[in-house]
Amino acid sequence: MDDTLSVLARADAIQLKSFAETLIPDLGEIEVLQSQSGLVMLPMRDTAKGVAFHLGEVLMSEAHIRKGEVQGYGMRRGHDLEASMAMALVDLAMATDVRRADCKAFCNAQAEALQQADEDVLRRVEATRVNMETF
Amino acid sequence: MAYVATRGGERAIEQSERLFREEMGGFDRDRVEEVKKSLPYLIDRVMGEASLYDEDLAALALAQTGGELYEAVLLLRAWRTTQPRLQVAAPIEQDTLFTHRRISAAFKDIPGGQVLGPTLDYAHRILATDVLQGAPYAPEPVEPATNPSPAYQPSVSAWQAENDLIDPPTNDPTKGNDIPDLTREPLLFPSKRAHTLQSLARAETGGVLALGYAAMRGYGQAHPTVNELRLAEAEIAVTHPDGRQFSAGRVKVSQAEVVDKKGEKLGIGYAATFGWNEVKCIAAATLDLNSPGAEKGSATEEEFFLYHTEGVESSGFCIHFKLPHYVTFQSSLDAMRDAKAKKAGQSKSSDMEPAE
Repeated sequence: MDDTLSVLARADAIQLKSFAETLIPDLGEIEVLQSQSGLVMLPMRDTAKGVAFHLGEVLMSEAHIRKGEVQGYGMRRGHDLEASMAMALVDLAMATDVRRADCKAFCNAQAEALQQADEDVLRRVEATRVNMETF
Repeated sequence: MAYVATRGGERAIEQSERLFREEMGGFDRDRVEEVKKSLPYLIDRVMGEASLYDEDLAALALAQTGGELYEAVLLLRAWRTTQPRLQVAAPIEQDTLFTHRRISAAFKDIPGGQVLGPTLDYAHRILATDVLQGAPYAPEPVEPATNPSPAYQPSVSAWQAENDLIDPPTNDPTKGNDIPDLTREPLLFPSKRAHTLQSLARAETGGVLALGYAAMRGYGQAHPTVNELRLAEAEIAVTHPDGRQFSAGRVKVSQAEVVDKKGEKLGIGYAATFGWNEVKCIAAATLDLNSPGAEKGSATEEEFFLYHTEGVESSGFCIHFKLPHYVTFQSSLDAMRDAKAKKAGQSKSSDMEPAE
């Protein structure tokens, strides 16, 4: 899995939008190929027989943009076309070397925040571990 | 069934809908947000039965229908048909689940240990009536552990397979649009396993519980032991147009395996659904465990439980009976009167003396 895209897909929507907005002047002319919401079907593997089956669909927002031959893409959960477009702008900026260091710093900061949030959840989960005693 | 074209009642129909909506009152974005925040397990149940994952839409459907669950699920199922399908994600694999709760009733010392996660399993069920007297309820805060729990937990059934207790599954390579999909093709019997599990994933919780409970009480062939129960978050693994795969976010999922002795090994039943809904998964996995060789027409026979746990179809069929059936009912009355008249005629003729 691509870590940068995975981070952008879960990054804080407000921070992502405000950062992506600053990239627009540097990116220049961009062609928007797609900006829409729709459904992604999510399959799951059955652990009894190994069969993949559809669990159901998830509402997602998608943005697909292009600058010359280079593509930028964003897909995030829920209906937020601005956020998916912001993700696509950051992806395109990184792919075209536009303010790459800033993009990387943004992604690193978001990754750290997400990791911290996960760790907080897992420390709370760990508090519920059962230490069995037999007698 | 017969139908007749009728006129009239337009005003009554319009006013009846107005009465329903007026009694419920208006709602706005704040109401939807409040429903979403305060009723996460109900939101999960609705998303699972609607087979559509989005907390905002589920909360909206609940606010719009005043919590009439069948109507809420129907609204969501209808809405999803208006949306384009963007992609089919990669199948969720159990070892990639970000796990919040993982327990086993079969083995005490499972690999990875038992993690209770959020549950009321061991809580006293006491109604917080003080709240109605004005005392707000504030839960005791969790005391987090120093070290985090592992995000990914090993599989109990894989460990059992290593110990020759169950036959390990062979992973089916089918993916993407090749995975059988009930939303695009009919359910036929004997059902494809992918259809069975998809149907159970979107089944109505109460229906699954009723039939699963029947099997648990002895109207089935196998008694379930929960091998593994897991509440987790799953990554939505999608593909960038340039081919890179990434996670486009997470969704809550529940998964249950139940086992029973079957010859020299364990038989295993499985179910999963969107959201955190343990009762549905355990009951559905029990039906899956019981279905091989089930008697035709029994609660654990696949055709029986798949048809009867489809919430939109079953509730729709049930409520259609309250719509006008004047012609069919009149026809029944006519047949009844005719039979009565014939019976009366027969007894009159038998009382008469034979004609000379």
